[in-house]
Amino acid sequence: MFSTSSQRKFWTFSDEGELAVLRDKHNLNYIAKHGTHIDEYQRYNFFLSPDEERLLLKQYELHLKEFCKRFSPPMPKGVVGTAFHYFKRFYLYNSTMDYHPKEILATCVYLACKVEEFNVSIGQFVANIKGDRDKASDIILNNELLLMQQLNYHLTIHNPFRPVEGFLIDIKTRCSLANPERLRSGIDEFLEKVFLTDACLLYAPSQIALAAVLHAASKEQENLDSYVTDMLFREAGQDKLAVLIEAVRKIRSLVKMVESPAREKVRVIEKKLDRCRNQENNPDSEIYKRRMRELLDEDDIPHTGSSRMSLDTSGITQVLSPSAS
Amino acid sequence: MDDQACPRCKTTKYRNPSLKLMVNVCGHALCESCVDLLFLKGSGSCPDCNVPLRRSNFRVQLFEDPMVEKEIDIRKRVLKDYNKKEEDFASLREYNDYLEEIETIVYNLTNNIDIVGTNKRIEQYKKDNKEIIMKNKAKIGREEVELEEILEIEKQMEELRRAEISRLEQEAKKQKIREKEALIDELMFAEGDAKDILNTFAQNKANKQEEVLPAVPKVTQFSTGVKFTRVSTQPTLPLIEEGPLYKYEPPVVPDRCGPDPPSIEDIVALGYLKHVRAENETEKAGGYKSTLPCLRALQDALTGLYHAS
Repeated sequence: MFSTSSQRKFWTFSDEGELAVLRDKHNLNYIAKHGTHIDEYQRYNFFLSPDEERLLLKQYELHLKEFCKRFSPPMPKGVVGTAFHYFKRFYLYNSTMDYHPKEILATCVYLACKVEEFNVSIGQFVANIKGDRDKASDIILNNELLLMQQLNYHLTIHNPFRPVEGFLIDIKTRCSLANPERLRSGIDEFLEKVFLTDACLLYAPSQIALAAVLHAASKEQENLDSYVTDMLFREAGQDKLAVLIEAVRKIRSLVKMVESPAREKVRVIEKKLDRCRNQENNPDSEIYKRRMRELLDEDDIPHTGSSRMSLDTSGITQVLSPSAS
Repeated sequence: MDDQACPRCKTTKYRNPSLKLMVNVCGHALCESCVDLLFLKGSGSCPDCNVPLRRSNFRVQLFEDPMVEKEIDIRKRVLKDYNKKEEDFASLREYNDYLEEIETIVYNLTNNIDIVGTNKRIEQYKKDNKEIIMKNKAKIGREEVELEEILEIEKQMEELRRAEISRLEQEAKKQKIREKEALIDELMFAEGDAKDILNTFAQNKANKQEEVLPAVPKVTQFSTGVKFTRVSTQPTLPLIEEGPLYKYEPPVVPDRCGPDPPSIEDIVALGYLKHVRAENETEKAGGYKSTLPCLRALQDALTGLYHAS
């Protein structure tokens, strides 16, 4: 149930301001850590700004949507929703400069497949990825534990898809609306767009679902307001109704504002990122390769007693959160 | 016909005092030497009635009338299967009917009346009462073991008692001899009147006899220390401490943060199920019903609707 979930407790935020603060924070942290050798003025040219990071992530969310749509075997909606949640959650506390969104994207989808019990093997999974598949599977499996750690192991996601079904059943039973099934195309379209916004970090899945249903109804020139006020909120009182109306309004406006970022801008940002990204986490970089070799070598050296323990754990923390080392 | 005679070699008890007549299941007697001769190979047929017999089934004839022996054999065989006890019947009448039936069967078999039919009856009975027969057999086996144990104990006690008695007897004999010697010594060397001495000795003897013989301690265990009774072999069940009785408390529904969803009864009564895919036969066999997923969808739709940031 959403009301008792970790999603509500830890991952549903009060407003967009709070999200922006979190995002600015890790951006500044990264710059402070890696920008010591660059002077004040140069820094802003060299590193990504929070806004640029935002834009980049929007672009990658579109990529994520496309990747899931083309995935074979066809993916259930729940997996896509869960992957979006993971992706958004991860970049609330991590910078794109630290972990490239391209890599985290694939890892999020892979983990979502597992959590939502959509059974694909890693081989089947990377068959959907262009380019070097062995490298891709290495990257995904290397990042999987990191991702789970960054999600604080809160892996259960409440998606708005089941609530939509619930509302449709309820409307069919309690309302006189003619043929509610025709709302479906509008609902699906709306939910697809919702995941490109921050709505799922701000509102309950049932609120998002209700917004989708109401949006689809208004598109069909139907009015379900009486259903909401007389049926759902009959016993709730005006204040609660007002909160919901505001939430639905906000979700709809968020969805309305969705627009794909300009190609040119994104290309510039990506180029910038290639230079300023954390080379320790870039699988193509020499630093990364050397570190991996060192880790492997470390495993081969025979240790004794407690010294082995300490060396091993240091190795693990290095793998999981290289930024900490 | 006082004299026993072997029907084959016509030897009588008079001519051969060591004559031993043997009988087998068919009830016809043969003397020991004839059995040795005829059943050299271990099996053969009865010279009287041609029934195939085994040598190992021959035993010494205890009763003069071989028919009695035959009946004993048959009875033993029949009772192996007809082993119900009085407790197995609802009323005395039924039990008596059952005993009557056994007698009829034994009589029929002994006197060769309707053997095929009777055997069929036994087979039928065996089939019908397979379980009871097995159960009673096990019970009888157990009872026999118990009985044997009791017999063993009694034998042991008897031996002990006999040993005790013989010891006492010897003691008494020795005592008597000693007394006699003492009396003679007294008569020889004492100064007093012989009559008085005799009297005092007689008195002493009488007194001694009155002394209570020490009671033989009751033997309650074997020399190895194992108790006679069976009870000790069965360990007493440890007492289980019982805590307070379990009391059912209905689960607490956490705050849904939204309107209350309909109950399962409402879902059925208000027609929600019309709008859900009904379960098919296969799913029904697996225990799936469309009520629960319907309820879950409704719960998910309604929970969190009041959520306020």
